[in-house]
Amino acid sequence: MKDWASLTTIEEMEAATNSLLENASKVGADTWQQRAKNQTPHCGFGEGGTCCRICSMGPCRITPKAPRGICGCDVHGIVARNYLRFTVGGTAAHSDHGREIMHTLHQTREGGNYQVKDPEKLIRIAKEWGVETEGKDIYDLAHEMAEIGLLEYGFPFGEQKFAQRAPEHTKELWRKAEIMPRAIDREIATAMHMTHMGCSSLPEALIRQSLRAGLSDGWGGSMMGTEFSDVMFGTPKPLDTEANIGVMEKDNVNIVVHGHDPSLSEMIVYYANDPEMIAYAKSLGAKGITVSGVCCTSNEVAMRHGIPMAGNFLNQENVVLTGACEAIVVDVQCIFPALGPLSKCFHTKFITTSPIARMPDSEFIQFHAETAGENAKAIVKMAIENFKNRTPELVNIPNQKQKARVGYSVEAIKKVLDGVANSQVDEFGSTKPLVECVHSGVIRGAVAMVGCNNPKVRPDTAHIELMKKMLENDIIVITTGCSAQAAAKAGLMDPEKAKEYCGAGLKRVCELAGIPPVLHMGSCVDISRMMVLASDIAKDWGINISQVPVVGCAPEWMSEKAVSIGNYVVATGIETFLGVDPYSKGSTEVTELLQGENGVTQWVEAKFVVDTDIDALGDKMIACIEAKRAALGI
Amino acid sequence: MISLILKEEKTLTLFDRVFGGNDYNYERTVAAIDAAIAQYGEAEAVAFPNTAYNLPCYYSITGKKINNLGELKAALENDIHPMMTRNPRLQDAFDSGVASALCAEFLEVLKYLHGAEPYAEPEMGFLSDAFVRNLGLPLVTGDIPGVAVIIGGAEDPAETVELAKSYQALGLLVTLTGSSVKHCAESGMNLGEGVRVVPLGYEDQSVIHVVSVALRAALIFGAIQPGDTKALYKYTMDRIRAFVNAYKSLTDEIVSYGAGAIQLGFPVISNETENMFRVPKSLIQQLDTSKWNATSLEARDIKLKITKIDIPVSYASAFEGEIIRKGDMQVEVDGSRVDCFELVQTKEMQEIEDHKITVIGPEIDEIPVGSKISLSYTVEVAGKAMQADFESVMERKIHAWINCIEGVMHTGQRDMIRIRISKADYEAGFKFAHLGEVLYAKVKSEFEVVVDKCQVTIVVDAEQNKELRAKANEIFNKRDARLASMTDESVDTFYTCIMCQAFSPSHVCIVTPERLGLCGAVSWLDAKATQELDPTGPCQPILKTGCQDEKLGRYDSMDEAVNKYSHGAVEKITLYSLFQDPMTSCGCFECICGVEPCSMGVVITCREHAGMTPLGMSFSEMASMTGGGVQTPGFMGHGKHFISSKKFIAAEGGPGRIVWMPKMLKDQMRERLDATVLDMYGVENFTDMIADETICTEDPEQLLEYLGNVGHPVLGMEPFDM
Repeated sequence: MKDWASLTTIEEMEAATNSLLENASKVGADTWQQRAKNQTPHCGFGEGGTCCRICSMGPCRITPKAPRGICGCDVHGIVARNYLRFTVGGTAAHSDHGREIMHTLHQTREGGNYQVKDPEKLIRIAKEWGVETEGKDIYDLAHEMAEIGLLEYGFPFGEQKFAQRAPEHTKELWRKAEIMPRAIDREIATAMHMTHMGCSSLPEALIRQSLRAGLSDGWGGSMMGTEFSDVMFGTPKPLDTEANIGVMEKDNVNIVVHGHDPSLSEMIVYYANDPEMIAYAKSLGAKGITVSGVCCTSNEVAMRHGIPMAGNFLNQENVVLTGACEAIVVDVQCIFPALGPLSKCFHTKFITTSPIARMPDSEFIQFHAETAGENAKAIVKMAIENFKNRTPELVNIPNQKQKARVGYSVEAIKKVLDGVANSQVDEFGSTKPLVECVHSGVIRGAVAMVGCNNPKVRPDTAHIELMKKMLENDIIVITTGCSAQAAAKAGLMDPEKAKEYCGAGLKRVCELAGIPPVLHMGSCVDISRMMVLASDIAKDWGINISQVPVVGCAPEWMSEKAVSIGNYVVATGIETFLGVDPYSKGSTEVTELLQGENGVTQWVEAKFVVDTDIDALGDKMIACIEAKRAALGI
Repeated sequence: MISLILKEEKTLTLFDRVFGGNDYNYERTVAAIDAAIAQYGEAEAVAFPNTAYNLPCYYSITGKKINNLGELKAALENDIHPMMTRNPRLQDAFDSGVASALCAEFLEVLKYLHGAEPYAEPEMGFLSDAFVRNLGLPLVTGDIPGVAVIIGGAEDPAETVELAKSYQALGLLVTLTGSSVKHCAESGMNLGEGVRVVPLGYEDQSVIHVVSVALRAALIFGAIQPGDTKALYKYTMDRIRAFVNAYKSLTDEIVSYGAGAIQLGFPVISNETENMFRVPKSLIQQLDTSKWNATSLEARDIKLKITKIDIPVSYASAFEGEIIRKGDMQVEVDGSRVDCFELVQTKEMQEIEDHKITVIGPEIDEIPVGSKISLSYTVEVAGKAMQADFESVMERKIHAWINCIEGVMHTGQRDMIRIRISKADYEAGFKFAHLGEVLYAKVKSEFEVVVDKCQVTIVVDAEQNKELRAKANEIFNKRDARLASMTDESVDTFYTCIMCQAFSPSHVCIVTPERLGLCGAVSWLDAKATQELDPTGPCQPILKTGCQDEKLGRYDSMDEAVNKYSHGAVEKITLYSLFQDPMTSCGCFECICGVEPCSMGVVITCREHAGMTPLGMSFSEMASMTGGGVQTPGFMGHGKHFISSKKFIAAEGGPGRIVWMPKMLKDQMRERLDATVLDMYGVENFTDMIADETICTEDPEQLLEYLGNVGHPVLGMEPFDM
């Protein structure tokens, strides 16, 4: 029906990957494609969530013949406990990322490695938190805010500060359901305690704590990670960049950053642009230095500096397989331990930098905020000096890339909306123009597409196909994480071309506002931006978040963080659609709690919908949006 | 802002209304065609008068022509009916809007059946191809800035007339439909093609006749192939600046025409609130109909050229070089003695009230003749395409803009301005506020691409200006700091600047990242932005090619450029030497440097320093050595910030040669100059080693003694190669 000709297709991307896998077989390297085969079929007890190994009496596996564990816990208690532990694994990861950012904020100083690049935002948040700003040096304020922010992890009493940003109705729901998040570390510790042998086995209580822990992530740790990264590195604004493996340059020193925390990559980007370093690279035979990214670190530096995106989660081995990667520098989360042995098959330096993510077969250069500049410079230098060690016959960079406009923070989105407002009638700095587009039906609604890749789904297919389906139906897509990169790689963020794939309504909006129909909002901690956006829309519209025709979707999710995210997105009142089952299908009770009409939806006005048939999942999303419209009488 | 409150009962959606209007029109059209066939038979010819485009809307959208009633009926069933899909998507609403409009065209053409003449004055009905050709071209080229399509009328007929006249006064083409025809005709307003106010008809469906003009314009002037709707709609959206003003109450029929208009890219502005929705830039609710003009122009991005400036004296470039002598002067704004400045600042759209001119403090008639006063003006601008980099470019134009006022003289820039207003102007009724009028008009007309709104605040108050000037200086310093990180080696293009050729016709500045224009006001970034804004303007890019001597900064391409832009007066220049073909000076340099032969150093003085220098010459005496675009080896005008540049007389050894500067200039430059010298020669606190008027004025011996005492680095340098 539509001419999707300017997109890079899944088949083309797979062909590129296959050409790289040839490199792998030449050097005898192991890849995830092979390992996924080796691991299939997966353990049915694990997938159903029905295996309990919380104490050493077991492991207990629930079957019709053995319906209870040794302690007597039934399948529902076991599945719910596993679900909660899975959730808080994610909560801990995201929130610890946020904590690192707060520590870095504490190290900022005038002229230092880390500085306050968006003082206005810092002052705005300080005022929101009731911190006196008048007459204060910006760095004194930054340090004070860092200390206050760090207390969010462990204060003895009270509620998360950022959670107060939610609409009143949402906060009431949270308090009533007893899921208003307290100190972040407490929610994690409470979850671990509840799931200890001989504590909770009541599914309802365990799922409540899952939502609460999730909220402490999305409206706590992640939000701090996002907001204070903006304070230090600048709030993203629309920027043009490129995506897919072809962004690596054959004649340049290629440094790939991978992971999640922008503190390291910001410094790498800085030193890779240093004329001294460029001159050094040239003196060693390269034409220059190219930094590109994988995963969410890539999203962070793309959003702020236009650094190109080489790929997403399941492309991390591809960048090494090009034979042209001098260094892959990683911080935390989603890093395959496979990169160690893989890098040994090539000249690539695999550099780990965080005590959180230590791996065999890597060079560990511990990254300290105080010595960040020196560390980064040393890493860039190491990569440059490694250029000469390439094996020329192994160099293969598939010529595949697309243009992408990225950088849509909430602030940037409001700025875009100001551009279509009329100063004679409208107020500026609000989401109202967007609300009007949705209210009038020009746009039917919005989907927040997030999450990872997962070998259980043909990589990127679900992201791309669902987005295409939404665009055709005048549903705007906001996206983060590896989903955002899938869109960028396919060409769905090209502001010139991608609008041609939209229905007339969304196309007109893209033309008038000068935006692509798929908006890149950042990394996975930046799903917190989506929560702020949803809140602002609900407030500007005068309705509850759960009434807004917006849904969440993670069609290819895989990590614990994704489940933590799912919990807070649902708890915020946004129906969330999953394309991979969350290890809960072993319990009808837990499934009903998460996905039925009588569980979480009674507490927070939203639930999960799981369907591994991606096309059907898309139909359900559209139906949900249209049902919300009908309920509003629009 | 009205919040979108939910209603209990099921409300009609916007699309429902479009579909309803379309259904209504379709049924009417079916009935009308059937009745006509019953009367005249299917073979009866169907045509509009005086057009080669058949039924122009139908023809441009489908590419097909209709000759008789039978074909008209077939077209309705086979072409229009299939457009009437009913999915809740904008595409369906657009298609139904177009279908509804085509029905209107069919209904209108039926009026002309059998040689009828359905319209009489004031109604004009169908507009001929000649009309399209007469008005179409200025419309497409922008000479007619837009088309206002007024549907219906206000409760008070006078209001409708006022609205039509407000557009007419701006040169827009106005079409009237429904009661607006009556209101305007009965008011005695002159109507018709000649005055660009065109009454179409009393029935709402007559609005199709202006659509017919727009679509024929696309076929005629845009060479759009009939039937290529994608190209057709793109053309109307991009090129035909039309919009609709629809008075309440809006029927479904009108709402369906609105959908058609929006498909063509024409926004609809209405005061209807019942069952009505808002869509940014497309469907705008403006309850205050007195603001429809401004709302509509903004919604359709129509920018008007300002041709007349409302001041009591003449305004022309002929006055740019006019000198106002002391005796002829009413007041003087003197930035070298009191706090004065001029500043352009970017604001958000909502922060600015367009054309607001504010004067804080006394007006010119409250000030004694011959006064030297403190005055500042801040021009605040906003625009969707505005960039902060353009601010200083606009600021640099202020000099020329103010100078073009008869009887007003302006020199300098930033916080070093001097303005004289003549007694003749004062007697003609010239006020400070008129400076604001000029600034407003010029900003809006010369920077229409980037400025949507502009307001000017003039402050005539020494106390306030002191504080404001400090703030302005912070802004100027920030702009300078942005540039500080760039070097001449890091770019491949330099720029010419010939902004002051009105005064110095043979002077050309070459602006590089490390050498700003000698007026101190045009940095490399400014020059770059100027070039972007005005590709044929005073700043032209010069590629750095044909390097003959890197140390002197001698390039073939720079020589060619100065030769060309000085009209042959200057053949060769160097960028970094004081002796070998130094850059010329106009008259507006911030500083001037000259060789001090005893120490083999250079003396710098600045415009603000009235006293002597160890060369035995004051600023104005030194200035007379080199102004007017001549090359005087050993003397050179330059900007203040060039002093702390590593490229300052780099060919002769750099800023380490500086032996004397006025104290005030030392204090201004200290931080950067110390940093530069420390970096270049490893000498700390260099500025303290430079003598000033507190150490010596006219005696070179005193100077030498001081330099010896402090161990000035110049003493270790080679003598000048003069």
